[in-house]
Amino acid sequence: MKFAFFVGCTTLARLWGYEIATRRTAEKLGVELVDMPGSGCCGTTYLETLDHITALAIAARNICIAEEMGLDIVTVCNGCTEVLTKANKELKKDPELREKVNEVLAEVGRRFEGTVEVKHILRMLKEDIGLEKIGEAVARPLKGLRVGAHYGCHLLKPSDVMMFDDPEVPTTLDELIDITGAESIQYPNKLECCTGPIMGVREDVTWAVGLEKVETVKKYADIMVTSCPFCYLTYERCQLVQESSPDVPVVHYPQLLGLALGIDYKELGFDNNRIDASAILEFMED
Amino acid sequence: MMTDLSEKEGIRIGKENIEFRRLLMETPGAERIMLCYQCGVCTADCPVALRVKEFRPRRIARLAVLGQKERLLEGDTLWLCAGCYTCYERCPEKVRVSEIISALRKLALKEGIIHPTFKALMKSIAEMGYIYEIGDFQNEMREDEDLPQAPEPEVKEIEAIMRKTGFLDLVEGC
Ligand code: SF4
Ligand code: SF4
Repeated sequence: MKFAFFVGCTTLARLWGYEIATRRTAEKLGVELVDMPGSGCCGTTYLETLDHITALAIAARNICIAEEMGLDIVTVCNGCTEVLTKANKELKKDPELREKVNEVLAEVGRRFEGTVEVKHILRMLKEDIGLEKIGEAVARPLKGLRVGAHYGCHLLKPSDVMMFDDPEVPTTLDELIDITGAESIQYPNKLECCTGPIMGVREDVTWAVGLEKVETVKKYADIMVTSCPFCYLTYERCQLVQESSPDVPVVHYPQLLGLALGIDYKELGFDNNRIDASAILEFMED
Repeated sequence: MMTDLSEKEGIRIGKENIEFRRLLMETPGAERIMLCYQCGVCTADCPVALRVKEFRPRRIARLAVLGQKERLLEGDTLWLCAGCYTCYERCPEKVRVSEIISALRKLALKEGIIHPTFKALMKSIAEMGYIYEIGDFQNEMREDEDLPQAPEPEVKEIEAIMRKTGFLDLVEGC
C-alpha cells in the first residue's frame, strides 16, 4: 500500500515526534508513505473563509502533485484534511468551478484532474488497513492504560463534506485506541473544539478551553490522545503556560499505536513531547 | 477591542442596510440567512460563546438579516469564530452561522478589513509557502532525527496563484 504523504506546516516545523511516529508506524504496517516534492501549505482553514477561489487553487496545487505521483494523499492534520478534502470534492463535482481554478493554476503550469482521494491517517488505518489487521499486528498491548481521546473538529466536520464517521457520536479514534489494548474512556464534553484557531485573536480563551478539557481528562484517564497537530499544541501549551501544570501527557495517536506494535519508545519521537509521557511504559507487557 | 453588539442604541434599517444584506446573500454561504428563526442553538452550543460574552452567533445571524454592516465588521467579532462547525451541524434551518461569518470575512476583506493575525498568516504563506519558516534550522533538526528534508514548497507558484486571483493585493492593501 502506497500513499503520497502530506505532512503539513505545523508537523513539519514543530512536531517531528508526530512525523517520526507516523513514518515508523506506517512502515511497520507495510504502508509506504512517499514525500510530495514541491508541496507547501494546504492554504489553512483561515484562507477558506477569506477567498474561495484562492483557497481552492492553493489546495489544488498540492493535490496536483499527488495526481502526478498517481497516489492518494494521506494527511496527519485535521485542518489540512478538511481543506484538501473540501477542495478536492468541490472541484471534482463542479466543472465550472474547476475551469475557473484551472485557469488560475495554468499560471503556474498545473491542472487539476480529479484523479486522487484525500484521507486522514485515522481513516486510512480504519478503512484501508482495517481494525482486524491492526489488532493482529499488536505485539505489546497497553493493558490498563486509560486514554482520553480528542477527535477535534475537521476530521469529522462539515459532515456533508467529510463523510467520515458520525459527527456527533464518532467511534473511530476510540476503536483505534482500544485495539492497542488501552481503554478509551468517555468523558464530558469529549467533542468540544480546542479553539486553537483563535489562539492568535484571544489566546486567553484558547488556554481556558484547553485547560478545562485537560483537567476533565485528568479525572478519568492517564493520558490524552490527539489526531491533529493544532489540537495537540493547544492541549500541551495550555498546560505549559500554567504556574503548576496539570501534567497530563498528550500523545499523537501513531505514537500510541507504534508502542503497541512493538516499536521502541525511543524510536517514536517522544522526546519531542514537552510533557513527559514515559509513564505509559508502566503499562507495557513484555 | 470588542464590538458592542448590544442594541441599546436602536437599530435603523435604511437603504444601505438592505443593500448590504443583498450583497451578503449573494456571497456563497450566506444564502439562507432569511430562514433564521432565532432559536439560539448556535449560541448555546458554541465553544467560544460559552466563554466570550460579546461573541453571540445568534445575534450575528440577526444583524446579518438586518444588514447591520458596521456592527458586524467592527472589532474582533468576525475573527473570534474558531470554525468548529458545531453551529453548521446543528442549525435546524441550515442557516449556519459559521458560513455567514465566512461570507462576512470575505466582504470585510473587500472593505480593507482583516484581523492582523490573519493578515500575517496569509503573508507567511505567500512569502514562505508555509505558515512558519521551515529553513536550514528546521531541516538540520530534521536531519538529526533521521527525517528527510521538508519539501521545498515552490514559493513562486504559491505567490503567483495568490496574486493572480487578486487576493494578495487585497490583503496587502489592508
Ligand atoms: S441555530 Fe440557525 S436558526 Fe437557530 S438562531 Fe442560529 S442561525 Fe438561526
Ligand atoms: S463555527 Fe464558529 S460560531 Fe459556529 S459554533 Fe464554532 S466557533 Fe461558534
